[in-house]
Amino acid sequence: MIARIAFALAALLISTGAFAHKPSDSYLVLRVDGAKIDGRWDIAVRDLDAVFDLDRNGDGRVDWGELRTRAGEVDAYAAPRLALAASGSACPLRVVDHEVERHSDGGYLVLDFRAECASRIDAIDIDYSLLFDIDAQHRGLLKLDSGSVVSAVFAATHRRQSFALALPSPLTQLRGYVADGIEHIATGFDHLLFLVALLLPSVLVRRGGHWEPVDRFPTVLRSVAGTVTAFTLAHSITLSLATLSIVSLPSRLVESAIALSVLLTAIDNVWPILPRRRWQVAFAFGLLHGFGFASVLADLDLPPASLALSLFGFNVGVEIGQLAFVLVLVPLAYLVRDSRFYPRVGVSAAIAIVAGGWLIERSFDLRLMPF
Amino acid sequence: MRVALLLFSSVFASLVAPCAALAAPHRPASDDEIVETLPAGARQSDRATRALRAATARDPANLDLALRLATLDVARARRDADPRPLGRAQATLAPWWNAADAPVPVLVLRATIEQSGHAFEAAAADLERALAREPGNAQARLTLASVRQVTGDLDGAIESCRQLVDVASTALAHTCEASVDAISGNAALAYDSLERAKATFARDTSLLVWATTLQAESAERLGRIGDAERLYLASRALDPADVYTIAAYADFLLDAGRSAEVIAMIARDTPVDILLLRRVQAARRSGAADAAAESDELAQRFEALRTRGDRVHLREEARYTLDVLGRPAEALALALENWRVQKEPLDARIVLEAALAAERPDAAREIVAWIDRTHLEGERIAALAEAAR
Repeated sequence: MIARIAFALAALLISTGAFAHKPSDSYLVLRVDGAKIDGRWDIAVRDLDAVFDLDRNGDGRVDWGELRTRAGEVDAYAAPRLALAASGSACPLRVVDHEVERHSDGGYLVLDFRAECASRIDAIDIDYSLLFDIDAQHRGLLKLDSGSVVSAVFAATHRRQSFALALPSPLTQLRGYVADGIEHIATGFDHLLFLVALLLPSVLVRRGGHWEPVDRFPTVLRSVAGTVTAFTLAHSITLSLATLSIVSLPSRLVESAIALSVLLTAIDNVWPILPRRRWQVAFAFGLLHGFGFASVLADLDLPPASLALSLFGFNVGVEIGQLAFVLVLVPLAYLVRDSRFYPRVGVSAAIAIVAGGWLIERSFDLRLMPF
Repeated sequence: MRVALLLFSSVFASLVAPCAALAAPHRPASDDEIVETLPAGARQSDRATRALRAATARDPANLDLALRLATLDVARARRDADPRPLGRAQATLAPWWNAADAPVPVLVLRATIEQSGHAFEAAAADLERALAREPGNAQARLTLASVRQVTGDLDGAIESCRQLVDVASTALAHTCEASVDAISGNAALAYDSLERAKATFARDTSLLVWATTLQAESAERLGRIGDAERLYLASRALDPADVYTIAAYADFLLDAGRSAEVIAMIARDTPVDILLLRRVQAARRSGAADAAAESDELAQRFEALRTRGDRVHLREEARYTLDVLGRPAEALALALENWRVQKEPLDARIVLEAALAAERPDAAREIVAWIDRTHLEGERIAALAEAAR
């Protein structure tokens, strides 16, 4: 009788909320980026102890050695209890590292993991079933970060939840694509060197058998504007055709041809081999470079819905980057055009050497050049 | 030397512990680094519990095994002041958890777990179902009395206590009744009744502690401050670790303006939230240097509970918000939300205090009416009710 009543007393006192700890929680953070998910999962050591009996030496404490040596088993236990899926196909997850962390109620094992989905994630289905079989009051506390952060709680009665990822506003997206375009031109040495080679002679004029400086800056501007417009027009056409999958060329061929275009333009500055009208050269080779831009855009793994927006934004970014480069390059060239040391030949030769390297590298799929 | 070392390491631990909560994840440099200390009570009972758990896992439909394991876990939750074993007991009872016609012992365990999550209605329904099938179940009767008392159904609570006479000892029934009398205008009656009951409980410490603390609270309501203190100390001497008694005595000391004694009684690194709350209140009132750090620690614990969706600490959170953070409007909202679920004297008091501090005495009208109706005694609560009237 007394034992039963003592138990009843226990029941009485439980209702006073006199608890030392909070109940069992895990902390799950998912960062979604394109088709990839970067995850961090903090699981209480006390909960893992209930599953794995971690305290092997029985000293009432779990040390890193006791935890580390069982980490593989923990992964094998935890991973199947977190099913991630996008567009109906599973995104298998892989634990890449283990750390430890303290939360307000004690020590946690941190599983750092990655998950790969088949395609870009627009919505994610999460099926969480960790520990519910041994602790019905366990909760999985989720923070889902896809630009904006969403919080959710998984419980034994609420294991499966789906989240449509908040797409950034069209303006934010557009800004992102413009930035991608600028970045691509700023780090695309082949395009930049092509522009240098193309515009190097624009401050000079060929009279008879030799080059002379142009007299007036407006003359330079006119010819540069014509050349740049032709280049822009041409690469916009092929960028659109390729992105809309109307024309597609093998990437190795395109990249090799771009290298060849740089090489030929540089050689032309020393020994004329191309048409005299610069805009024609710019247009013809611009068509090639557009295919190059398109492969970058394809790598960004765009959702079909925002294709038009991304195409436009990326192109605008490329033009902005290109224009900024030209605005620095041309006045500089104009200022030093009179000098006997105007580096038409030297720079062209250097560009030709680099472009030759690229041509060999890209044609034969080698790895020679540092950039 | 050893004493000095122990002293040093415990001081060091108490200094380090709150900072550790903010540490970034890291990979320990050595295998010997301690990642977690398991609850002290866990070790001795663990082997038996683990064996039982393994047996239950092999045969989850075995009611007998499941009941033994769940009962062990519920008792352990009480002993370690740890809610985790309650979740484990619930998982053990999963095959019967959603069945309205579950066996009586399952109903009683389920009610115990439900009320710990403040699901009082579900708990009462389960207990009534259990008693309909087994009227002689003393445990169900006593638990039902407690659930009714917590939710403010004092008549129902008294009725449950009286029915205990037939199925348990008279002293137990009287103590149960006294716990209701003490908060319904009969504190003097309760005090005397508890004095008699104590003589019968002489050999059972947990019952004796229960009766003694109840008697101390009754004395406090009657304004017999000297008796109250003597009884609190007597109860503390019987079981220095009893959380309910420490909390009640701390409230007594806080009301008497004796903050320093609260700080001395409750360790800084207490893992029990309701005790840390009292320590933080005392530290703030006495202007202790580390009040802010302790306060942050408590705020983190409330935040952690809120994040997981638990609303069981509303009473404490309301007190914290009012007394430590000094935000009466927020405290009032929390206190009123809590009042919808829990209706004990402390729940009434925090609504009154918050409503007065927020200059919204009308918000506490229901509480004033409740005090009138139940005849709850006590100078302090009477003064608060008068001010809010």
